[in-house]
Amino acid sequence: MEADVIVIGAGVVGCAVARELTRYNLNVSVLEAGSDVAEGASKANSAIVHAGFDAKPGTNKAKFNVLGNRMFEDVCRELKVPFRRNGSLVLAFGPEEEKSLAELSAKAEKNGVPVEIIGRDELRRREPRVSPDATAALWAPTGGICCPYELTFRYAENAAANGASFLFDAKVSGLEKAGEGWRVSCEDGREFTARAVVNCAGIFSDELNNMVSATKYAIQARRGEYLMLDKDEDGTFSATMFQVPSKMGKGILVSPTVDGTVIVGPTAEDIPDKDDKATTYDGLEKVKAGARRTYPGLPLDKVITEFSGLRAHETTVGDFILGEAPDAPRFFNAVGVESPGLTSAPAIGVWMAEKVSARLGASRKSPSLISKDVSWWPKTREMKPEELAELVERDPSFGRVICRCEEVTEGEIRAAIRARVGARTLDGIKRRTRSGMGRCQGGFCTPRLIEILGAELGLPPESFLLSRKTAPKALRGSSAEDSRDEAKTLDVLVVGAGPAGLAAACAAKEAGASDVLVIERDDAPGGILQQCIHNGFGLHRFKEELTGPEYAQRYVDMAAELGVRVVCGTMVLEISPAAEGKGPVSVTAMSPRGGLKVYKSRAVVLAMGCRERPRGALMTPGTRPAGVYTAGTVQRLVNMDGIMPGKRVVILGSGDIGLIMARRLTFSGAKVLACVEIMKKSSGLMRNVVQCLNDYDIPLLLSHTVTDVEGREHVTGVKVSKVDDSLKPIPGTEMHFDCDTLVLSCGLIPENELTKKAGIEMDPKTRGPKVDPATMATSVPGVFAGGNVVRVYDLVDWVSRDSATAGRSAAEYARSLKG
Amino acid sequence: MKMICINCPKGCELDVEKSADGTVSVTGHTCPRGEAYGKSELLNPTRMVTGLVRVAGMRKPLPVKTRTAVPKAKIDAVLFAMHQATVQLPVAIGDVIIPDAAGSGVDIVATANM
Repeated sequence: MEADVIVIGAGVVGCAVARELTRYNLNVSVLEAGSDVAEGASKANSAIVHAGFDAKPGTNKAKFNVLGNRMFEDVCRELKVPFRRNGSLVLAFGPEEEKSLAELSAKAEKNGVPVEIIGRDELRRREPRVSPDATAALWAPTGGICCPYELTFRYAENAAANGASFLFDAKVSGLEKAGEGWRVSCEDGREFTARAVVNCAGIFSDELNNMVSATKYAIQARRGEYLMLDKDEDGTFSATMFQVPSKMGKGILVSPTVDGTVIVGPTAEDIPDKDDKATTYDGLEKVKAGARRTYPGLPLDKVITEFSGLRAHETTVGDFILGEAPDAPRFFNAVGVESPGLTSAPAIGVWMAEKVSARLGASRKSPSLISKDVSWWPKTREMKPEELAELVERDPSFGRVICRCEEVTEGEIRAAIRARVGARTLDGIKRRTRSGMGRCQGGFCTPRLIEILGAELGLPPESFLLSRKTAPKALRGSSAEDSRDEAKTLDVLVVGAGPAGLAAACAAKEAGASDVLVIERDDAPGGILQQCIHNGFGLHRFKEELTGPEYAQRYVDMAAELGVRVVCGTMVLEISPAAEGKGPVSVTAMSPRGGLKVYKSRAVVLAMGCRERPRGALMTPGTRPAGVYTAGTVQRLVNMDGIMPGKRVVILGSGDIGLIMARRLTFSGAKVLACVEIMKKSSGLMRNVVQCLNDYDIPLLLSHTVTDVEGREHVTGVKVSKVDDSLKPIPGTEMHFDCDTLVLSCGLIPENELTKKAGIEMDPKTRGPKVDPATMATSVPGVFAGGNVVRVYDLVDWVSRDSATAGRSAAEYARSLKG
Repeated sequence: MKMICINCPKGCELDVEKSADGTVSVTGHTCPRGEAYGKSELLNPTRMVTGLVRVAGMRKPLPVKTRTAVPKAKIDAVLFAMHQATVQLPVAIGDVIIPDAAGSGVDIVATANM
């Protein structure tokens, strides 16, 4: 293939350069070693648009930071990328650090960045959660936040819309002069020629330069570890909270993100391996300690994930090295672009495209020939109800929610796959749509995502589980949807058709409620019992031992006999209590067929169940390869989708689902090497230890935990250590397991996002709503709750019993409203 | 012999002894099911086996179980029988999928409507 310009590297800098080059009459190709855009530092950084007060005046870092910062509004508007100028604060703790603020302030003035120093009281007024130990702060109003991978792939989409081609899995291994230009060869044997090359290879950019130039550079990988906290309705901080910077970087920051989560980090550690993106125990401890200095109330129970990224720190010059290499004509460098690289990318893109086009004598395209297209698709979670209703009518797939945590629909996922530089991996979908990025970290949506990927790309779904890199089912079940539901007021509306919801609905009907509707987000009723194919259910409720699907079917049949209506494939988005507790509760729900609907019901029963604690919440150090699943996800894959995730398995945590899956995986041909539990006794039931582990000689390692996860693409092994009484790993007790799968069974958390949004009072102990045990009434009149949404039960029989109470109370309440 | 009863979440610790005349005594149980379990676990330990059977033309498998518990020594053979089978839809809960699985005398039945 021949191109005018080959850009090497599809990070944010490479994609910005490619997009700006397509403004000229040039044929542009982008070669990327990874299998997607934004696979390097662009996917793992602080997501900050720096104001520019920190960079040394006169450097490229200072120049491009300030230029780039000014461009962000326009660039993000053109590319339809979220951006917010929330401002930055640099905190000083005591007089010594206050001096540093004054120095920063002087630097800022030289760089042309507006700043202001504020005192403790003003700081506390603006950011009430900041540590009282912070004595002053530097306020930089032009600081901002942005989504770095969204910016990268929209740059790529617009470049592609203007003719740039993107080639992935193309690791450049050779660069030779060819005529006036260059021959570029890849590891897999592919060869390309180009009149000019732009080196945007991030952490590997030194190696490319050193192949062609006598001026040698050396990039040091500087790892930064981060924690991500779940969305917080109250808002943690409004500005990005820095601390006084050190030689190694800008220190630990705490910042809101454009997605509503909170990012905390990074550490700064020079490491020898340019591929080592593992997180470490010590690193995460440093992040926590550093963040607590700014934010003493750091809520560790809200951690949803942790990750690390590698900064490309150039050690000989220490600045961005930009422009044509002096002894390699038409070879252009963007070497050592570390922080503030994201901020600088728009400016580097424009500057580089000017230099390259001038060198090649290329003219600018006429503006009418430049496409503005960025393959935009609607984000349903941000749409107004009436817009959404119209969209779902046109394309019902925008009514089917796949990722419940981030409310991402099938339509968005398909659009992300069908885009010009479309998603080809689970990670690709995640970064383009946020599906799998929320609090359950893909626990629920992964099986559905691989199905959609498989159908769109014509590949077996399980192929997407092999590596981090490399058709929706027709609605089943009952869809007794009634378009008249909106017009009338129901007696009892139940959210969730698992065992709790069905028991509540049946009990409500039996207690005399006339109009009872159950809304279920899955395609079939039964909840998690559908995938619990083992026996042990119903001994108390039905006086016989049943499997999960059998237990569920009993309730499905009962509900049908009683005339309870169950609507599947419909996700409740919001519950709004009646004003002053008078009149019916409003429930907003969305489905592919019905679009957006608002139901009115005299009483509502919450029965949303619970979710599993994901890996992120456990803060297990190590790499982040494919092959790490929660036990429930594995249960769904094996029992419902017919997919075996691996052959050699280690289980972390001894929750009941993990124990059950130890036996199931053994039955299905896998070798379960060990079940590792950090506490002194199993958290699951003894009967499951006996019949799932002991029966099959699977060792249960008590007082042990996983201290490292190994493998780049897929899990290759784990390290397990003994822990002391304070649950800290004991050095020297490590043992190693070669495995391809790590299954997590470390607890369940009631799923109460709807509950919290509705303003219902929560119980911090159970993490469910506060209820009156006699009636299961919540703090909001007319709203009741039952099952695992209230607290995590160990036996479904008791879920049925207690949620039946909720159903009866709801029926009674509905009757009282009718008078 | 000490053992833990697997009948319910209580997990009672049983002490099961066989006397010289062959009679088995169970202590530590809190219900009749526990006593029966203790005896059976000593003389002829059995387990319910639940598993999956391939469905013709579909990726999704059918969940199944042994209608009653089978001797522990038969578990592998029962699993093998499940693995070998392919079923045609429709299937209802309780339908016999494999009669007399692996010569155990116990039928394998469907546990879901599909």
